[in-house]
Amino acid sequence: MKHTLEMRNIVKRFPGVLANNNVNLTIQAGEIHALLGENGAGKSTLMQILYGFHSMDSGEILIDGETVRLGSPKDAIALGIGMVHQEFMLVRRFSVVENTVLGLREGNGPLLDLRRASEKLKDLSNRHGLALDPAAEVGLLPIGVQQRVEILKLLYRDARLLILDEPTAVLTPREKDQLFGVLRKLREDGRSVVLVTHKLAEIMEIADRVTVMRDGQVVATREIGSTNGQELTRLMVGREVNLRADKSAQKPGAAILQVEELRVRDETGHEKVRGLNLEVHAGEILGIAGVDGNGQSELAEAVMHLREIKSGRVILKGADVTRLSVALHRTLGISYVPADRRHVGSVTEMSVADNAILGLQRKYRRGIFRGIREARESARGLVARFGIRTGGIDFAAGKLSGGNLQKLILGREIMRGSAALVVEHPTRGLDVGAVEAVWGELLRARQEGKAILLISAELEELLNLADRIAVMFEGRIMGVVDAAGASVEEIGLMMAGITAPGAAAAGLGNKEAHRGETL
Amino acid sequence: MAKLFERRLTPSDSPIAIFATTAAAFLTAMLVTAFLFLSYGASPFQAYFALFHEPFGTLRGFGYSLVRTSPLALIALGTIVSWRSGFSYLGFEGCFVIGASATAWLALLTAPGARIGPIPFFLFLPLAIFVGFVAAGLWAGLVGFVRARLGGNEVLISLMSNYVAIFILQYLVSGPMRAPGSLPETRILPRATWLPFILPGTRAHAGILIAIAAAALVWMLLEKMPLGYELIVTGFNAAAARYAGIDVGRRIMLAAFFAGGLGGLAGMVEELGSQHRLMDGINGGVGFVGIVVALLARLNPVAVIPTALLYGGMSVGADAMQRRASIPSSITFILQSLAVLLVLAFDALRYYKINFSVFSRGAPPTATEEASK
Ligand SMILES: Nc1ncnc2c1ncn2[C@@H]1O[C@H](COP(=O)(O)OP(=O)(O)OP(=O)(O)O)[C@@H](O)[C@H]1O
Ligand SMILES: [Mg+2]
Repeated sequence: MKHTLEMRNIVKRFPGVLANNNVNLTIQAGEIHALLGENGAGKSTLMQILYGFHSMDSGEILIDGETVRLGSPKDAIALGIGMVHQEFMLVRRFSVVENTVLGLREGNGPLLDLRRASEKLKDLSNRHGLALDPAAEVGLLPIGVQQRVEILKLLYRDARLLILDEPTAVLTPREKDQLFGVLRKLREDGRSVVLVTHKLAEIMEIADRVTVMRDGQVVATREIGSTNGQELTRLMVGREVNLRADKSAQKPGAAILQVEELRVRDETGHEKVRGLNLEVHAGEILGIAGVDGNGQSELAEAVMHLREIKSGRVILKGADVTRLSVALHRTLGISYVPADRRHVGSVTEMSVADNAILGLQRKYRRGIFRGIREARESARGLVARFGIRTGGIDFAAGKLSGGNLQKLILGREIMRGSAALVVEHPTRGLDVGAVEAVWGELLRARQEGKAILLISAELEELLNLADRIAVMFEGRIMGVVDAAGASVEEIGLMMAGITAPGAAAAGLGNKEAHRGETL
Repeated sequence: MAKLFERRLTPSDSPIAIFATTAAAFLTAMLVTAFLFLSYGASPFQAYFALFHEPFGTLRGFGYSLVRTSPLALIALGTIVSWRSGFSYLGFEGCFVIGASATAWLALLTAPGARIGPIPFFLFLPLAIFVGFVAAGLWAGLVGFVRARLGGNEVLISLMSNYVAIFILQYLVSGPMRAPGSLPETRILPRATWLPFILPGTRAHAGILIAIAAAALVWMLLEKMPLGYELIVTGFNAAAARYAGIDVGRRIMLAAFFAGGLGGLAGMVEELGSQHRLMDGINGGVGFVGIVVALLARLNPVAVIPTALLYGGMSVGADAMQRRASIPSSITFILQSLAVLLVLAFDALRYYKINFSVFSRGAPPTATEEASK
């Protein structure tokens, strides 16, 4: 694509869902165009049409005023359109350069000329500031770097329009800054970027224009200069959303969940949790802040005993549950919302109704049979209470939009009524309206006296929800601060492994922290 | 913009689509095979008539079809239980042999003058079912154990275990269980242990009833019981199963036990219903054909009995065709194999839908119809 790309009157219908309803979208050369909208608004669908992944029912796509046909991703690539999907499509066992040339014919005849490809790749990565070793094995690279591979793959094919579907959801703040640097360079280069994201701050930071979608339709397209976050939210949700959780003051009760000197290893044998202590009380949210990959997931999995524990103890309501089975953890009263909702938290091939009882399959029963009617009843209740947008409870869970799947999992775990709740990245990839709903539910659970361990990479979220924030770095707690008086700088420093000067000796956050409390 | 065939992102899984693609695959297979008939100078219509008339149009032939159906259906059910639990078991030939040997052993014990002596059939039958099921269940459960606890590959191990089981059978019939005489086989089983014949004038025996009951039980297990739910979750996604508190290792071992047990019942039914004595070679590939039947039935227990009947009937028809029209019965084998291959290949068709709006020019372009393919 050279100058402008236009999508006109795009209509796309899935069985029972009108995913795109007469959508118009124009993308200019050299612009970063943000696409914003609630979960299930049809953003991914629209972009997949542009990438030739879905066919549209009607409508037109024009490049520089000429109609083009996009029958498959191959057509799209030939026209200079490339896409980085929410879930990367890389071959993990291949090297960077092998992944790059995958599907291309590089070299003479049947032989692959990887050397020349490597040269070209190095050249490209220098030009665009994407530091990368062409020979590295992709599976061993951090997520941020894998994303770079995806982008380089597109540049290698000389994509003029890059579609990035929620690229920052999995990135650390630093990786995000690096990515944005790259995007700015691409813009200077005259290339265009479509950025699908739920994060308003990012849109205000980098986009030139933003298009807001709701219920499959475009509600508005705005220049960034002439809009603000509030207006965008209103356009997107149709009402004001005040993303400030009103947390009632409340005295925490007895300790429900305690972790003592926990040590856990990951698959490769590295110790990811290294002598960690913490304590969550009834009616309290303890936030775990930290850059992804500092042992947070391993901690959560070890608490549930989904991961082997090397040493230490996990205590639930005073009883040692360290080595009990996952099923017993659940019956004794811990629920868990895992980070990976598609591969762990749900069975995407099964229906919403069947997913609503995952982990509860022994509870809904009649004699030796499943209590299918009761289970379906409760699934309906779950869908209603959490506002899950689905084509019915027999809809395959894998076809739900990311946000709605998350609501399904979170709702299921909350409705179990366990005393303790471990929640990992509950609002990753969710729209503001959904974030508001999830926050509300977590606070409601807190009010009901649940002990909640909240692992999140979003400081905003932790500051709003948590009573106390523990900062995790390289498998240890660097310090604990009261959310009420916490400063972002201080937490940021601890996240980088630097203990705040005021509390260096105690290793316990700022002055308001519960000094001396076993944490 | 609208094309006649449009690609979908995910295959349509509506019952109509599945039925239509399966039917299309069968028809295509029959069409291709028709040319083979022609090369023998036979009219395809007559050949197909012969092929289907004998098993489904005559009482005697139908009886034979039922005889072939029962073990096929039981093995297909075993395949369904194990495969849907994520355990790719291929050792049904071995389970069949083990089940047959165990029941033959039990039956011979009830011969007059033997260790146990004659017992009434209503006592013998449950005992035989138990022995056949448990012996083969443990046999397959062993592979489940290796996979669940030691991380072995069940595909290779179960394939190899078939040979071991067959050697065990050969040892039994040439050693400890051999009847006096020249052939390596056991005595004929006591008449009182035979499954009753159910259609007068045919060889059809009560094994088909056992197969139907088993299909109902497997359906109930998978669709209606918490355990079945756990097995299916395990099969789809072991990580999610573990997360849900399901002991994945145990579920896999249990699935292996059930699958093997069903394979053992196949052996029992064949032994007590049709062979009435144990000898080398009773398996004859049924352990693999049963897997094929399960695939054709798309791992759906409800579809197993009809599919097995069709498959079993066709092999009966093939023999008749060879006798009458001297067309080699192996053509039927080609037809069957072709049908399986095409059913699997035609799955790709479910990725497409037909836009009927293409035919009616004036129609609004959004009015696409969900078609079967
Ligand atoms: N393959 C499919 N089959 C049926 N329905 C689908 C399919 N893919 C998406 N949908 C439906 O289409 C609608 C739009 O989904 P889409 O994935 O485009 O939303 P989205 O805006 O990207 O949401 P999110 O922000 O949660 O990623 C949703 O209602 C979804 O359930
Ligand atoms: Mg999306």
